[in-house]
Amino acid sequence: MTAQDIFLATQWVFLAYFIGINLGYLSQNVIAALGIRRYLQTADQFEAAGVFSALDIPISVVIPAFNESASIITSVKAMLQLEYPDFELVVVNDGSTDDTLEKLIDAFGMRLFPEAYRARVPCAPVRAVYRSARHGNLRVVDKENGGSKADASNAGVNACRYPLVCVVDADSVLQPDSLRRVVRSFLEDQTTVAVGGTVRIANGCTVRRGFMEKVALPRNFLALVQVVEYLRAFLFGRMGWSPINALLIISGAFGVFHKETLVEVGGFNPEAVGEDMELILRMHRIMKEKKRPYRITFVPDPVCWTDAPENLHDLKGQRVRWQHGLGQSLFLNRSLIFNRGGGTVSWVAIPFYLIFELLGPIIEVAGYVFIITCAFLGWLSFPESAIFLGMSVALGVLLSSSAIMLEEVSFHMYPRTRELLMLYLIAIVENFGFRQLTAFWRLQGLIRWWRGGKHKWETITRSASLSDDS
Amino acid sequence: MLEWLFQSDFNAPVTAAIWSTIGVTIATIVLFAYTLGLRVVMVIRSHRRVKMVARWRNIIAAAALSAEDAESMPMPSFSRAQTTDLLEEWNRTCSTVEGNSLVNLVTLANRMGLPAIAKKMLTRRRLQTKLLAIQTLGHLHDNDSWAAIEELLRSDNTPLSITAAVALVDIDANRAVQQVVPMITKRRDWPRTRVSRFLRMAGSELVSEPMYRAIRSADPDELVYLLQFVQLVESAVIDALAEDLIRSSKDPAVLTAALKLIGGHVGVPRIEALAQHETWFVRMQAAKALGRVGQEEHLELLERMLEDREWWVRYRAAQSIVSLPFLGPNALRQIRDRQTDRYGRDMLEQALAEVGLE
Repeated sequence: MTAQDIFLATQWVFLAYFIGINLGYLSQNVIAALGIRRYLQTADQFEAAGVFSALDIPISVVIPAFNESASIITSVKAMLQLEYPDFELVVVNDGSTDDTLEKLIDAFGMRLFPEAYRARVPCAPVRAVYRSARHGNLRVVDKENGGSKADASNAGVNACRYPLVCVVDADSVLQPDSLRRVVRSFLEDQTTVAVGGTVRIANGCTVRRGFMEKVALPRNFLALVQVVEYLRAFLFGRMGWSPINALLIISGAFGVFHKETLVEVGGFNPEAVGEDMELILRMHRIMKEKKRPYRITFVPDPVCWTDAPENLHDLKGQRVRWQHGLGQSLFLNRSLIFNRGGGTVSWVAIPFYLIFELLGPIIEVAGYVFIITCAFLGWLSFPESAIFLGMSVALGVLLSSSAIMLEEVSFHMYPRTRELLMLYLIAIVENFGFRQLTAFWRLQGLIRWWRGGKHKWETITRSASLSDDS
Repeated sequence: MLEWLFQSDFNAPVTAAIWSTIGVTIATIVLFAYTLGLRVVMVIRSHRRVKMVARWRNIIAAAALSAEDAESMPMPSFSRAQTTDLLEEWNRTCSTVEGNSLVNLVTLANRMGLPAIAKKMLTRRRLQTKLLAIQTLGHLHDNDSWAAIEELLRSDNTPLSITAAVALVDIDANRAVQQVVPMITKRRDWPRTRVSRFLRMAGSELVSEPMYRAIRSADPDELVYLLQFVQLVESAVIDALAEDLIRSSKDPAVLTAALKLIGGHVGVPRIEALAQHETWFVRMQAAKALGRVGQEEHLELLERMLEDREWWVRYRAAQSIVSLPFLGPNALRQIRDRQTDRYGRDMLEQALAEVGLE
C-alpha cells in the first residue's frame, strides 16, 4: 500500500464521517419539524382548555444555589409568581460562602422550621430547614457544601412534597407559564418520567424583576454564536430524539421529573460532571432493566432563559465540562450500548452520541491536522482542501439555517427582520474559527474524562441582565 | 471557477465533495428564501389581521350586548382571506360570554352567513380549518351538523375528537354526555384538562347519571381513571360511590381513589380498617380521610399512625391531627409531648409548625 493509497483511504474515512453525521442531523431535522408541527397543532387545543383545573399536578421547584448572592432574591421573587395553581419552592443553599442564606432570610422572612427531613437520595448533611413567614410555599434547605449541583439538587428532592420535581438553575429566568407548558406532557401520558424544555440565551434580552421583558440578540459575538448553537441543539437536537423516545439529555437549567421515579433511580449522581445527562441515561437504563413503559419528553416551548458565557475562558470551561460529562455519562451507563431490549436508545441514539458527539472532536481535530499535514507534504492541493472545507461549511450552514427556519415557523422569538438576517450571518461566520475552537476544547474535555478529572460547582461571569440590581 | 471545478481531474472523494457542496448550498439558499418569505407573509398577515380585528371587534362586542344591534346594525363586508381571523375573533368572544349575549352572537353570525361558511370549512382537509369549523358550529348550536361532528368525535386524531366532544356539548349537552362519558376511559389520549372542561360545561346534573353508569361497569384500571373526574358529579352520587367502592373493592388503587372522595361520614368503620392496610398509599389516604371526617374517636388511631414506617403516612396523620376541629393549640402540644416515638413526635412538630403553632 502506497502513501497515496493511505491518503485516499483517509479521505474516504473523513467523507464517510461527514456524510454520517450530517445524515444523522438531517434526519433529526425532519423528525423535529414533524414533531414541532404536531406539537403546535395540539398546543392551541391545550391553550383553549380553560388553562387550569384541579387535575393539574402540584410541582415542587428545587433551586440549588451556591454563592448566588447576586441574583437569588430576584430569581426567587420571580419564581414565586409563576403561573401555576399549586407549587412550592425549595431553595437549597449548598454551604455558600457568601451571604446567599442571609439574603434569603432577610428578604422572605425565613424562620427555622422543624422539618421531619428524610434522606431518600444521598446528599451532604442538612444543617437546617427554613420556612418563609410570608410565603407558605417557600422553604430553604441549608446544607453543608457537597461540592456539586447534583448533591444540592438531591437535598432539595428529599425535601419535596409534591409528585413532580422541577430542578432549575438559580440564575435561570423562567417563562411565567413554563410549569404549565411542561406539565402538559405528564397529563397527556401518565408514563412520562421526565420532561425538558427549550433553554434560550438571555444575553442581550431585557429582564425585569426576574421575568423576560424583551427578547433581543446579544451584542457580544460569543453569545451571539451560542444563540444559533442553542437553536440547533434544542429545536432539532432534542426535538429530533424526543418523538422516538430516545432523548438522552434534559438540560440542568430546567427539567421536570416524576419524583418517585427520580428517587427510585437514586437521584442525581454527585460524582457526575454532567449530572443532567447522566440522570437521563440512568433513567433509560433502569426503566429498561425493569421493563417498565416510560417516556422522556421534550417540549419545544422556550421555557427558560440562561446566561451564556461571554468570554473565551468561561466558554472553554463550559465546553470542556460538557464533553467530560458526556464521556462519563455514556461510560457509567455503558450497558445501554447495543442492549438487546434497549430499543432506539441503545441502537440509534447512544451509537450516534458515541460516534459523532463523543468521538467527533477526535475526527474533527484529526481532519484539521490531516489537511494541514498533507498540504505541507505536498500531498494535497489547496483547491482540494478548499473543496472539503467548503463542504463542511455548507453543511454547517445548512443545519443552522434549518434550525433558524424551525424557530421562525414555531416560536418566532426574534421578531425584527434585522435579527433574522443576523442569525443567518452568524450561521456562516461561526464556521470560521469558532467551530474549530470548540472542537479543540471538546477534545480537551475528552482527554480530561479519559484521565478521570474531578468536577466542582462552576460559575460564569454573568451578563448584567440577571443580577438583583437590574 | 465553475469551469475549473468541472474540468479538473479530481479523484472520487473530491468529486463527491463538490457535488455535496453544491447540493447543500442550493438547499441552504432555498431554506433562507423560504424563511424570509415566511417572515414577509407573517408581517402582511399580521397587519391585515390587526386592521380586520379593529373593525370587527367593536361590531361583535356591540352585538353581544344588544339584541337590537345583533339584528340590525350595518356590517362591513369581509373577504375570503379574512374569514379565518373573523371566525377566531367571533369564537373567542363566544367563549367569554353566556346567556343572551351568546344568543345575540348567534344572530349576528347568521346574518354574516357564518353557518354556511363553517359547514363548508368542515369538509376541508386542513386540520386547523376543521377545528375552527367544529368550534364555530358548536357555538352556533347547529343541530344540523350533529351527525358530521359526531363522526369526528370517533376520529383517531386527538384534537379533532376532543374539539368535537366539546362542540357536541355546546349543541346538546344532554345528548352529548350520553355519548362522550362512556368514551372517556377508552380515549386516554384526550387531555384530562379537556375532559374535565367539557364535563364542567355539561354540568353535574347531566353528568352524574352516565358517569355513575360508566363507573359501575368499569374494570379497576378504568375505575381509577374515571374517579379523577368524579368531583364533577353531584355530591350525593359521590358519597354513594365512595361507600360502595370502599366496601366492595380490594384493589389498592381503587381504594385510594375512593378514599380521596370521602368528605363526610361515609363508611367510617371501613376507613379504620384501611388505616392498617398493607399498602402504604392506602394507609396515607385513610389518614387524610380520617382528618376530613374529624371525629374524636379517631384521635387514638391517628396517633398510632404517627408511628407508621412510611414517612407519608406519618405526615398525613400529623396533618389530620392538627386539622381536627375539637383540638386547640394546647391540646395539640400535649399530644405532641406524649408521643414516645421520635419519628411521630418530629412529624407532629413539623405539622404544628406548618400551621404556625410552633
